[in-house]
Amino acid sequence: MCLNNICMSAFLQMCNLPIKVVCRANAEYMSPSGKVPFIHVGNQVVSELGPIVQFVKAKGHSLSDGLDEVQKAEMKAYMELVNNMLLTAELYLQWCDDATVGEITLARYGSPYPWPLNHILAYQKQWEVKRKMKAIGWGNKTLDQVLEDVDQCCQALSQRLGTQPYFFNKHLNIWKFTVHVLSKSGLENFEHYFTIMPTELDALVFGHLYTILTTQMTNDELSEKVKNYSNLLAFCRRIEQHYFGKGSSSIRLS
Amino acid sequence: MAAPLELSCWGGGWGLPSVHSDSLVVMAYAKFSGAPLKVNVIDNTWRGSRGDVPVLTTEDNTISQPAKILNFLRKQKYNADYELSAKQGADTLAYIALLEEKLLPAVLHTFWVESDNYFTVTKPWFASRMPFPLSLILPGRMSKGALNRILLTRGEPPLYHLREVEARIYRDAKECLNLLSNRLGTSQFFFGDMPSTLDAYVFGFLAPLYKVRFPKVQLQEHLKQLSNLCRFCDDILNSYFRLSLGGISPAGQETVDANLQKLTQLVNKESNLIEKMDDNLRQSPQLPPRKLPTLKLTPAEEESNSLQRLSP
Repeated sequence: MCLNNICMSAFLQMCNLPIKVVCRANAEYMSPSGKVPFIHVGNQVVSELGPIVQFVKAKGHSLSDGLDEVQKAEMKAYMELVNNMLLTAELYLQWCDDATVGEITLARYGSPYPWPLNHILAYQKQWEVKRKMKAIGWGNKTLDQVLEDVDQCCQALSQRLGTQPYFFNKHLNIWKFTVHVLSKSGLENFEHYFTIMPTELDALVFGHLYTILTTQMTNDELSEKVKNYSNLLAFCRRIEQHYFGKGSSSIRLS
Repeated sequence: MAAPLELSCWGGGWGLPSVHSDSLVVMAYAKFSGAPLKVNVIDNTWRGSRGDVPVLTTEDNTISQPAKILNFLRKQKYNADYELSAKQGADTLAYIALLEEKLLPAVLHTFWVESDNYFTVTKPWFASRMPFPLSLILPGRMSKGALNRILLTRGEPPLYHLREVEARIYRDAKECLNLLSNRLGTSQFFFGDMPSTLDAYVFGFLAPLYKVRFPKVQLQEHLKQLSNLCRFCDDILNSYFRLSLGGISPAGQETVDANLQKLTQLVNKESNLIEKMDDNLRQSPQLPPRKLPTLKLTPAEEESNSLQRLSP
């Protein structure tokens, strides 16, 4: 559950919007779509990253305005890749890998509730997740195959990121550009108009990778896969230090 | 040549080599990478499995699911992505994920869940390719599987209600089509001039949507407005699947081959005859020219008959 929390906090921090995080046991039921976390602004409640991005955009803050159509398509595609592979792999590891389920997940999921509710809700969630895995064709996958998929996804992200600080390195700062054009100066120093800014894709990737790297699991293979890619590690550290202001990074080196 | 690779898949119609997305992806990839595939179309005999179609059978093993089949073909050195850079390879994965998340639910809905479409087009088509009594059970099961997939991946707990989800999946699918159209632009394929894995996937998902005639067509109408995607599908059909344009399924390909063989034999026979007659004429005394007649009629008749049989 803390995964989406991190993605959303990162995104809102990147937009320079102040947030206050509150924990509630009935959060899932307060949310309009049943998913946590959600944001409560004035008298509006919005859940899930997609709608929150739209909501924030409608209020005038957007991280992806400077992207052209092709870049926007790429960004959406990579966000789906992360959802498709990383999120499903994390769900699989949490709920379909017997070792993790027995030792960690059942206890953690059922902890806010008294017996026997904790067992019932946990098993119900597990049944739901297994049904979903079967529907999308992951029902017969072994742990090794899932880890291989994660590796492929990380490789794709690493290759896309390359040596840049964020996934979409340069986008035109419309404001600076407009001011300059209106002042009728020449088009020298064109680099001046491009800002290096993160987008919602960076927030999403950071959220997932941070969770993988810092969550305690029975086996460390998942985090090992991510640690193989040094540029992804550097990316996570950079965002953590910049937006979450932690002096020493909590992402451990192998 | 490598050991024979056999692919079992659903057959074609409406100008397509196959109406099943996954089968089409594999067939397109095989054409792009030059893999020699022997395609066995599933018909209404009891041969072949209908479980996880498409299925690739080699000497040693069977592989199902398009992603695994494509991986296997790549390992056998049939690689359509040879020319791509690392970043383009990463983009391929991302766009395939986009297709599966945003477009697939709506395609499944159009084919298997929308009642008008399912009962008038999809069910009869698939049922005609399954032996009784499978034809009564399997289409229903496939439809239920599609519905499940849509609800479980796009529906919201605890109420999995289809109506709430329908509007969203079609909106997502239209957005996905727009994104693909923007990305393709005016190029022939997604990464330059040579088709790659991404082109195979996009073709596999779009072509059935584009070509199959449905009563309820909202997504199809949207696709037809994106002319570069339509051009993309037509180009691939014309360049790589030309023989199948007349609706001849790959199994019917064998009868076409047999007819071609017969025709070649007849033409050879006829040309031999003509040579002989020519010789006779030269050797015979000079007589006024007369029509070469009756001798030619019989082989020509047979020839024109077999030509008529070939034309669709």
